[in-house]
Amino acid sequence: MTALALPLPVRSAWRRWRPGAAAWTTLGVFLLFAVLVPRFASSGNLVNVLRVAAILCVAACGQAIVLVLGGIEFSFGSSAALASVVGVLAVPWLGPAGGLAAGGAVVIAIGALNGALIAGFGLPPFVVTLGMLMAAAGAAASLVGGQPIDAPPSAAFAWPAAGSVATIPVPILLGAAAVTVLHALLSRSRLGRLWYLAGANPVAARLSGIAVGRVTFLGYLVAGAFCAVTAVVLTSRVGSGQPNLAPNLPFESIAACAIGGIPLAGGEGRAHQVVCGVLVIAMMNNAVVLLNFPIAAQQLVMAVVIIGAVLLQNAGSLPVMLRRALTRRPNA
Amino acid sequence: MAASLEADRIAKAFGATLALRGASLHLQPGRVHALLGENGAGKSTLVKIIVGALAPDAGALRMAGRPVVFRSVREAMAAGIVPIHQHLSLFPHLSVLENLSAFALGCTRRAAASSALLPRAEAAARLETVGLHLDLDQPVAALSLGQRQLLEIARSVGRECRVLVLDEPTAALNHSEAARLFEVVRRLCAAGTAVLFISHRLDEIDAVADDVTVLRDGRAVIAGTPRSHLSREALVRAMLGTAVAAATRHLPEPGAPVLVAAGLRPGPGDAPADCVVRAGEVVGLAGLVGSGALELAAALAGARPAAGQLHVAGRRLPPGDRQQAVALGVGYVPGDRHAEGLFPVLSALQNASACSTRGLAPAGVLSPAREAARMLPWLRRMKLHPFLPAMKARTFSGGNQQKLLMARNLAIDGLRVLVVLEPTRGVDIAARETIHDAIADIARQGVAVVLATSDLDEAMALAHRVLVVRHGRIAAEILRGAARTNLLDALAGQAAA
Ligand SMILES: Nc1ncnc2c1ncn2[C@@H]1O[C@H](COP(=O)(O)OP(=O)(O)OP(=O)(O)O)[C@@H](O)[C@H]1O
Ligand SMILES: [Mg+2]
Repeated sequence: MTALALPLPVRSAWRRWRPGAAAWTTLGVFLLFAVLVPRFASSGNLVNVLRVAAILCVAACGQAIVLVLGGIEFSFGSSAALASVVGVLAVPWLGPAGGLAAGGAVVIAIGALNGALIAGFGLPPFVVTLGMLMAAAGAAASLVGGQPIDAPPSAAFAWPAAGSVATIPVPILLGAAAVTVLHALLSRSRLGRLWYLAGANPVAARLSGIAVGRVTFLGYLVAGAFCAVTAVVLTSRVGSGQPNLAPNLPFESIAACAIGGIPLAGGEGRAHQVVCGVLVIAMMNNAVVLLNFPIAAQQLVMAVVIIGAVLLQNAGSLPVMLRRALTRRPNA
Repeated sequence: MAASLEADRIAKAFGATLALRGASLHLQPGRVHALLGENGAGKSTLVKIIVGALAPDAGALRMAGRPVVFRSVREAMAAGIVPIHQHLSLFPHLSVLENLSAFALGCTRRAAASSALLPRAEAAARLETVGLHLDLDQPVAALSLGQRQLLEIARSVGRECRVLVLDEPTAALNHSEAARLFEVVRRLCAAGTAVLFISHRLDEIDAVADDVTVLRDGRAVIAGTPRSHLSREALVRAMLGTAVAAATRHLPEPGAPVLVAAGLRPGPGDAPADCVVRAGEVVGLAGLVGSGALELAAALAGARPAAGQLHVAGRRLPPGDRQQAVALGVGYVPGDRHAEGLFPVLSALQNASACSTRGLAPAGVLSPAREAARMLPWLRRMKLHPFLPAMKARTFSGGNQQKLLMARNLAIDGLRVLVVLEPTRGVDIAARETIHDAIADIARQGVAVVLATSDLDEAMALAHRVLVVRHGRIAAEILRGAARTNLLDALAGQAAA
């Protein structure tokens, strides 16, 4: 009744507002923390938040591509760990920059392997990437006997994480670049359109003459390239080869996309949603540290935020669901 | 007599679209009530509200005079409202018996406690009520569409059924299966069930409907009038606002061969098929369900792996290679719109351009302006309604989704061959004319058309010749202008081929 009573311009404005649900969630979380958490809104802290967000953001951009394809990518975490180990081991031969590049190449290769197994053999992404998560972790641990190894200290090795260009930290620049590239791919490239089509209905895509296998392979490959950048920055930040570098990376990148409102069913997802989800996660992580929450409580809070945010994404249907749940059946 | 179900001034809006604006419907026990209206008139929306799948914005439902509110399909079923959807909701890998029982399980709260399966005698008795004689242990996947539809009814009406709701149940059925369905509907009606029946086929309305309600733009323009008080013309005028005459279309003289199939065998049991479709020629493919006509059509479009040879305009097309087929200009409108055609979460525009992304992005860079400029004329040509190209395909009505698939294939660059399966299934009378016009037009531009349809009038009206498929082989050829009975006989296998 209410929806009908509203004048048309109001209703269409409401419709345009709803895709911005992710943005509103992000803004709400920001304001909440700015008021409740001491020191959260200081400029130094916010730059720190952005720096952390940017690193996650690059990998989440890759995850978003895989989700658009209707897949999922779990191997990001241990492929980054393997990259750091390989990168540090390669420094004596290739130099600091060469070592980092070699680490990045490992991640891209793992993405390509995932893509080949999924597209070529029709294996489920869940199984393939989970298997790859374990395989890469095993490889990383056995290369260094389970212990972290330090990289020889060098400015070049530290630059991706600690350097800056025109006073802007390099990770933030990389994060911005990743979002720009993702946006261009998804909304302006033929490949991006094919990802949407293949993710929305692979059978229809095949019958429309689309090389679904090749498109899927390229998706995992490009996703691997995004994750490679994250791996390089993380390796540079810790300055060592860590067989246990970023165990939460796959889950945080999936959670970021989910918080941004990207459904796991495929065919949907846009760059700005990734940005919003990543910001929410980075702000959360930062706030629980500022509030001195114990680690266990941090994870709990995180879980509440993820599920709550996804519920909020469906806010449009929430009033309807509540109303339906609360109406008394007159005939009952 | 009190109406068994009354929908009173129901309103429903989706964003800016007003799907229903105060539509009312009164179903009487023991009568078949037909709900008519053009594509997008709001029929499915009203049905979803009645069966508890959607909540109305305004208006009330009453059963036997008492107000009811359904918060879910389950609640509606508990009140005796049985929905039969066009998308069958059976479990294909389970047996007939398990499917019959699954429903009983879902409806009892003691599911875990009670035994998992219905007694076989009771299951057989339920099948009997819909005139099905099936092996209870057969997997549902092995049944024909018609059998599945009847099975679905059997599953639902085993329980108390006060209102049976059928949204375009016959769209996927052939004539004999539809006739069988009507028999069952009649039988249920005689037992006092109220039936709500949606169809775009007027002969079916003539065959079963007692009362008629016509929706236009979300309002009832004819409300529960007995069928016998209405002429066909009055019905059509009420639906569309104007009268529509089925046009006799001029078809061009066929030119050079374009699509050549030699020894094409879509399945291992099929006989090798040879056929030639010429430029500007429309070749119909007709056959009963299971005859292999649809499979043959799909194979001709390269949509299905097959043995044998295919050539398009002199170039070889490996069977089953749709990529190559689209590059050679072979369009394909599949029969199963939802599984094989639609990209439900993408926009109408993106659905229309799915086959043309190469041409729209010459260097891999997609220009939205160019996409709109090339595709919008096709959507306009197909009379998409509502004309909202950015709206997601799944929110369009069934008939309008079909228009999206037609537009997609008509827009293919350098179209040489168009293979269409059941192009007017679920489409209203005006849209049917639009689609037939588009097919005749494209033929006049020299495209070779293969039209596989179970709608014999469509085949006779639009095709130069109709190939009749029986048991996986082309058994007869009926030329344009032949009597309809010739075609019927050939289908059933009575004429000398
Ligand atoms: N979820 C939705 N979001 C937006 N619009 C919708 C949605 N569902 C339906 N509509 C719109 O509501 C109108 C009525 O649709 P409905 O499916 O009821 O039509 P219909 O009479 O069943 O048509 P058809 O004969 O083609 O099946 C259409 O304009 C349709 O686009
Ligand atoms: Mg409908």
